[in-house]
Amino acid sequence: MKDLYLIYKNLTRKKLRLFLTCFAIFIAFLIFGAITALQGALNAGVEMSADNRLITANKINFTQPLPFAYVNKVKNIEGVKDVSYANWFGGFYQEPANQVVTMAVDPTTYFTVYDELVVPEAQLKQWQNNQRGVIVGERMAKTFNWKVGDTIPMSSNIFTNKDGTQTWQLQVDGIFTAKDEKTDTGYIVFHHKYFMETQTWGGDNVGWLMLTTTDSALNQQVSDAIDTNFANSAAETETSTEAAFNKAFIEQIGNIGLIIFGVVFMAFFTILVVVGNTMVLAIRERTNEIAVLKTLGFSSPRIFKMILIESCLLAFIGGLLGLGAAFVIVQGASEAMARFLPNLVLDQGIVLQALGYMLLLGLITGIVPAIRALRLNIVTGFQGA
Amino acid sequence: MSLVSQSSAVIMMNVRSLPRRFWMSAAMVFASAVVVAILLAFLAMAKGFETTMQSAGSDDVAFFLRVSSAAELNSTVSNEQVNILTNAPGIASNENGPIISPELYVIVDGVKKSSQTKANIPLRGINQQGIALRENFKLTQGRMYSTGTNELIVGQGILDEFAGFELGDEIRSGKNVWTVVGVFTTGGNVFESELWADAKVIQSLYNRGSSYQSVRAKLTSPDQIEPIKAFVENDPRLNQDVQSEKSYFSEQSKGLSYMALFGRVISTIMALGALAGALNTMYTSVSDRAGEIATLRAIGFSHISAFIGTLTEALVLSVIGGILGSIAAFIFFDGLSAATLGGSFTQVVFQFQLTSDLFLQGATMALVIGFISGLFPAWRAARLPVVIAFQNGR
Repeated sequence: MKDLYLIYKNLTRKKLRLFLTCFAIFIAFLIFGAITALQGALNAGVEMSADNRLITANKINFTQPLPFAYVNKVKNIEGVKDVSYANWFGGFYQEPANQVVTMAVDPTTYFTVYDELVVPEAQLKQWQNNQRGVIVGERMAKTFNWKVGDTIPMSSNIFTNKDGTQTWQLQVDGIFTAKDEKTDTGYIVFHHKYFMETQTWGGDNVGWLMLTTTDSALNQQVSDAIDTNFANSAAETETSTEAAFNKAFIEQIGNIGLIIFGVVFMAFFTILVVVGNTMVLAIRERTNEIAVLKTLGFSSPRIFKMILIESCLLAFIGGLLGLGAAFVIVQGASEAMARFLPNLVLDQGIVLQALGYMLLLGLITGIVPAIRALRLNIVTGFQGA
Repeated sequence: MSLVSQSSAVIMMNVRSLPRRFWMSAAMVFASAVVVAILLAFLAMAKGFETTMQSAGSDDVAFFLRVSSAAELNSTVSNEQVNILTNAPGIASNENGPIISPELYVIVDGVKKSSQTKANIPLRGINQQGIALRENFKLTQGRMYSTGTNELIVGQGILDEFAGFELGDEIRSGKNVWTVVGVFTTGGNVFESELWADAKVIQSLYNRGSSYQSVRAKLTSPDQIEPIKAFVENDPRLNQDVQSEKSYFSEQSKGLSYMALFGRVISTIMALGALAGALNTMYTSVSDRAGEIATLRAIGFSHISAFIGTLTEALVLSVIGGILGSIAAFIFFDGLSAATLGGSFTQVVFQFQLTSDLFLQGATMALVIGFISGLFPAWRAARLPVVIAFQNGR
């Protein structure tokens, strides 16, 4: 108990310094928490993808279409469980700036292939029978305050409706959620058939295919089979796992992502170095006091422990406050920027990582002065004063 | 003794005593350096992207896209509409007739050298007038593609960042095989991140019939844009939006402006953290020099000289940091080549650009850190009662 009191007194002897040091640590972990959550969100598409899900796209580029007939041909390939397909719609709501990720999909298979998405049974039935229906992701519904039963005008920056406008009136039949909070629900899906019948270009094609294999061990075999099947045709395909496809997509953002995260982590470690330096010096100042404690009969290991506890305490006070603030910010940003950013989650992994860094900061900054104190000869201690 | 000579004496003393507080001072220099370097990195990124986009647009080129398409990729223009537009007023002519360029924009895959991953590259279908319209166009290697063939020319940016686009290389895109016959520059702007080929060939290879995606027209003068707008609005067969090419690209250049914002936010937050560290340094400095300050005060130096001395020490440390940070940013980031997704869903190759106005912003940041971290400790130094200072200062 007496030790704790001494530690407390030591920590608070210079209140201003305590405050400044805590504040710097606070900032460091605020940045760490927020940025790691952002990074996690960008990688969520890769992390959350199913093991046995493949994407088949046109070999030229995934923006080029595939013939509709491919759907059935792929269905007949051995090892394929379910096949679904989608088209990019280029959607926006009211203003071109309000981009809404919108896809025209097959209503009967979409939610079978993406089985981590949850739609209430009744809503799904209703949607499948209503060709003007749309199912919206939970985050989109929240952003625009859409409710089941609403009719929403969805415009396209690519396609023209046969009625001469670029807008489709869609009826919200349901809202889908996800089993895991990291799964993206920031998009909406409507009937592919209805889309094909109402847009002016017509055509009998799909944007890309999504399919599941009966066993993820068959992934390679199935994707080879598909690509060989369409080799030398007018539309050659390239099939990859969903994870690989999403990863390739993220990498389009390119090395600037790497640079940003590199730079920010540099910021985090800089603050830690600067703060650590202050903490080491603050304890070093007390050399003669430590000599006094030793004279009074405090054992060396006891002093060693006290100094380490003090530095760890400091790291955790600032760090936990910072992480808490990051949590609040991440929560707020996730809702406020639902249209631009995927789901931001400050999850357990990030918290554990941050706790690890706090402990490390406390130990590293404490260990040097603590060892000095451990070895300190009382006489030299007083001489130094 | 005058205030000036008093102050300069104190400043010299403070600076000379810096080695005594070496680690604390070094920490402050380091913190200020990193804050400035981070700020400059983000600003240079945003600046480079902006320049690449903006320098592509000229204000005497009218740019036509289908209504609400926002980007070339999404737009369509029929051949009939192109013919109507050819008769629009104010379009300049050369020996081949009116300088009007209907263009196609197809996305193909390329493999990035840096990551060995596939990325979207635009393949632009163009004609002779389209090339005439881009005044800074220059072939640097090889020759022009011949019309009606599967030949293409590649921009310098593509050549730098993507594998397999060397002169003479064959590029497979689906069933089509293209041959690279030339390399071009357009003065570092976004067109260099493209492949160019004959529009008619692309129409037939990519099933585009006789349609195009965007139209550019050279104007006799920039103010001809208004009559053209009126012309388009009055013809019900046209569903195009007209703007100057310059305004289109300045809209597109906003793509990475969030980077600059993000950089400012991060470096400001970071600066707060650094400030806390710097304040610690300066308070330590004041208590370290308490004895000296008291001595000086006792022999008649003014409050103000103690104040100025401490403030200057802080400024010197943060400015040294700022300079080191700027140098580091310049070495690591200036000219750094990067490629990212632009507004048309394709790769834009650009270079980080550290311009003098950015350095000025970095310098300002360093001075602000120095000033704030010096001000409060300087205030304490100036008010330090002589007796207490002697007691504390041993």
